[in-house]
Amino acid sequence: MIRHQKVKTLVGIGMFSSISYILMLMNFPFPGFPSFLLVDFSDIPALIAAVIFGPAAGIMVELIKNSLDYMMTGAVTGVPVGQIANFSAGVLFVLPAYYIYKKISTKKGMAAGLLAGTVIMSLVMSILNYFVFLPAYTLFLGAEAMSSAQAKQMVVSFIFPFNLVKGFLITVVFMLLFVRLNSWLEKQTVYKNI
Amino acid sequence: MMDKMIFGRYVPAESPMHRLDPRAKLLMVFIFVFIIFLANNIATYVVIGAFTLLILNMSKIPAGFLIGGLRPVFYLILFTFFLHLFFTKEGDLLFKWNFIEVYENGLRQGIFISLRFAFLILITSILTLTTTPISITDGLETLFNPLKKWKLPVHELALMMSISLRFIPTLMEETDKIMKAQAARGTEFSTGPIKNRIKAIVPLLIPLFVSSFKRAEELATAMESRGYRGGEGRTKYRLLKWESKDTILLAAIMVLTVLLLLLRS
Repeated sequence: MIRHQKVKTLVGIGMFSSISYILMLMNFPFPGFPSFLLVDFSDIPALIAAVIFGPAAGIMVELIKNSLDYMMTGAVTGVPVGQIANFSAGVLFVLPAYYIYKKISTKKGMAAGLLAGTVIMSLVMSILNYFVFLPAYTLFLGAEAMSSAQAKQMVVSFIFPFNLVKGFLITVVFMLLFVRLNSWLEKQTVYKNI
Repeated sequence: MMDKMIFGRYVPAESPMHRLDPRAKLLMVFIFVFIIFLANNIATYVVIGAFTLLILNMSKIPAGFLIGGLRPVFYLILFTFFLHLFFTKEGDLLFKWNFIEVYENGLRQGIFISLRFAFLILITSILTLTTTPISITDGLETLFNPLKKWKLPVHELALMMSISLRFIPTLMEETDKIMKAQAARGTEFSTGPIKNRIKAIVPLLIPLFVSSFKRAEELATAMESRGYRGGEGRTKYRLLKWESKDTILLAAIMVLTVLLLLLRS
């Protein structure tokens, strides 16, 4: 029985990663932001995987989704900078949401967790963008390195608000789903006390 | 959604690049990404360009396909080129027309950096163009095998990746079916205000999650009834074989590294 759960977890993570990848393909630009910042709902399968199979599963879904994206779609930079950024954002969003939901296992707890995830993800991604991803982009694209003022401008006026908007949209959609799927999720949940 | 441009998609063909071991190709690309930054003068760019052309030629990917796939990136390359051309104001003045001034260093930087960009994209996409995702997964599994010592679940990751790859087409079809079914009930996925479109994704996701979960349950049972019991001692249907041509590829990239180190200024 324990082994069956383990195999089921492996297969389940694989399936959710496929859904996540498909949702990633259905991305769209959000009005008011530059076209390389795209909103997609690929973090939702990762959240569900975290709720059902535990936090490591959420990280795995994010990892596999981005590896698949790099293998199938490639990256304009050659080196998967965008995919690494997406992975960090996903993990930073899913983990806070998961741990707060573990503490307060109600719908309100989930909503609070998702909003906390949104804020944490936006803040940390702003810092990471300023120090790591923007310099990496300009390096691999061969463009002139941004001055720190330019990079700051970029982070403050686009990346931070964009991540807030994206996190908020995912929160809304996930809550709509969660209200309907709550009882189903409880039945599927494998690890009840981690 | 399905007609999205996918540049790195596998192109089935018979070519020396296709026949190489995925591990050799992965290592080659990994090293290439680092050593391309060593190039900084004409000689080094000629050497690295020759290497790229050789690899492209060996892959037998039709040039038209490569150019077509590169089109969206092409504008980016062009933009980078002009950025360097007009904004670097060092070296001798080559050309002046009204307010446009082109300096020698600007021209050189523009050409070098656009070339580096193009080489990087061509080589990294050659990997995915000539290797099926399944063999890349196999290759990664064996390359990362030593990390098992540090408790990294290499086998499990590779298995999940293969399952995921296998089910992308199936689940895409299913997504399409559900979308059509919901559209028939009046859901609008691609028109209307953004609020409605976002709401429309909920009735798409619920059946998708529930059905994929059922599939997972069935597949897990099927795997166990066929005796799956983890990575220990598992044999493989497709075996990776390291041949002398793979060693030659790695030797070539080593020679390239040495040449770049010798020629760079």
